[in-house]
Amino acid sequence: MFLRLALSCVMLAGGLGSAQAASAQAAPATHGAQVASAPQAMTGAQAAPAPQAMTATRAVTGAGAPASAAHAVRAPAPPCSAPYRIDKTLPNGARWQLCWEMRNIEGLTLTKVVYTPKGNRAVTVLRSTALAQIHVPYDSGRPRYHDIGALGYTAIALQSADCPGGERREQFVCVTTRARGHAYLKSDYDGPNTSAQGHDLVVFSAFQVGWYTYLVEWAFSDDGSITPRVGATGSLSGFTTTPEHGWPIGVGARTFETSHNHNIFWRLDFDVAGKADDLVEQYDFSGSGTAKRKLERTAFARETKAVNGPMRWWRVVDQKVRNADGHRVSWEINNADSSEYRGPANEAFTRADVYVSTYRSCERLATINPSPGCAKSVDRYINGERVKDPVVWVNVGYHHVPRDEDGDLMPTHWQGFRVTARDVTAKNPR
Amino acid sequence: MAVAGAGMVTVAGAVLFIPGEQGSQAAGSAPRAVVQGDPLTAQEIARASTIASAGSREHMAAGQVKLLYVERDDDKEADERRRADAYLYDYSADRLIVRTVDLDRGTVVEESVARGVQPPPSKAEEATAAELLLAHPQYGGGVRESYARAGGRQLRSAADLGLRGLIFTPAGERGPARHCGIHRCLRLFVRLPDKTWLDTSRIVVDLSAKKIHTLEW
Repeated sequence: MFLRLALSCVMLAGGLGSAQAASAQAAPATHGAQVASAPQAMTGAQAAPAPQAMTATRAVTGAGAPASAAHAVRAPAPPCSAPYRIDKTLPNGARWQLCWEMRNIEGLTLTKVVYTPKGNRAVTVLRSTALAQIHVPYDSGRPRYHDIGALGYTAIALQSADCPGGERREQFVCVTTRARGHAYLKSDYDGPNTSAQGHDLVVFSAFQVGWYTYLVEWAFSDDGSITPRVGATGSLSGFTTTPEHGWPIGVGARTFETSHNHNIFWRLDFDVAGKADDLVEQYDFSGSGTAKRKLERTAFARETKAVNGPMRWWRVVDQKVRNADGHRVSWEINNADSSEYRGPANEAFTRADVYVSTYRSCERLATINPSPGCAKSVDRYINGERVKDPVVWVNVGYHHVPRDEDGDLMPTHWQGFRVTARDVTAKNPR
Repeated sequence: MAVAGAGMVTVAGAVLFIPGEQGSQAAGSAPRAVVQGDPLTAQEIARASTIASAGSREHMAAGQVKLLYVERDDDKEADERRRADAYLYDYSADRLIVRTVDLDRGTVVEESVARGVQPPPSKAEEATAAELLLAHPQYGGGVRESYARAGGRQLRSAADLGLRGLIFTPAGERGPARHCGIHRCLRLFVRLPDKTWLDTSRIVVDLSAKKIHTLEW
């Protein structure tokens, strides 16, 4: 109910946007050009931030209402009750609202994620997100683990020190706030610098899967971005191998610890500004070796497997809802930090970095999917169906070549990706 | 844990999901109004277990079918309903049965059945797998020896071990482990008192055949 209300508010704003009549086909090129010039415009606007923000707010609220109008609307009932509700307004005024659940299979699952930029209306982002698999193949060929057992059972009871500055929920979940460095900094000729420190709302749990402790974390930033990541710590497995598949651990060169990959899959059911009208687009910039770069947009009208590429990114865009500038509201996905593991033919699920499927409730895990009447792995979910309600599966690999420093306890190694607000607001909602 | 009779089904459901067993779903606190997006409460899990088990009581009594766990149904197309998915496994026929219980109506509203679909192991299955491992003529002694060395005391039962199970599916294996996938097979991590884990990387526990397979590579 809450999501619908938020959607109708944003859609109302969309209806007022002058670009509403523009055709879907014509928009992207224009859009690209506008994005290119946006940074200068935004920099200039910072000289008078308050009036600009108000103007933007009026357009978004659609009724000339002041910024506080969002709070005048009767608050809808939250979609979950207090122990499972996370509702955090960060120091810059950005607000994140979501629910958490410790599911037996997927472990920590976040649902009904809503972002409210300062002075703007709430906009829904994700219906749900969780891990979808941790595939751990060793360089010697064996073993090859699929580390999502019943992940919920392996959740570690967190102690106070494990959740610094935060609040533990039912032992297993930490909700905390963390500094993220400079949100921005600009010098002035004769006055003090204009700068601010940014913050993240962080939600995480820890899971003990054999030797490894996995730290499963989502950071929701005060600029509207989301960083899902997993840290692996605990202990190395102690599997030894021949020199070509490992690295010598301990004294001399007698024992070679086996190198291995952690191929982590996330499932993200985006509902950008509501469930309807979401589309996944891929952006490429051709012109390698030349002075110019040309923006190329590919719309994924049908289910698609995609691989990473230089400068390539994707976005989930609502085709109807627009910000005050008339630009479509979207979240961008950047998967630039993957080791891009490619396994043998019987591990076809490793052969793409991003998968876009249309929503099916039975498609839950990227491998060893637990649902009867449903395909078993993410590569099989992609079978040419028209995408009515996109679910994005992101595969991020980390190749761990052990080193002496990994000797117990193993320092945490992280892997993840970035989800960034793109045109959710008409300018920096700082 | 073999269920002795129809009357035991409810009890088994409740016992399997006591606080701490199922993360946040184990309430253990005073009853409160449940909101649609909340995890299942312990009471809802027990109720869904009973309703979902009703159609398999005889097979459950014979130990042929077991309830693995109950998960909140999160189908966004049924977002207005409070529903639970009960996962049951039939070891003699190697069939997974998932029954969706509508908690408001108190009935099973969907049932899906498949062979070769393996949801993650339950805690009870991890314990069963450890018992099979301890009963193995070669590995059983090895586990006891390692336990005694690490803990300075004798292993009393599988309950002394820290256990984590993962589903094993074959990837070009020869030998009896090739039947895994259709058979319900586990890899088992075994934690000793000194916080180390046994190297069980080549061991597969076949719960359908009640056998241990050793992988070769």
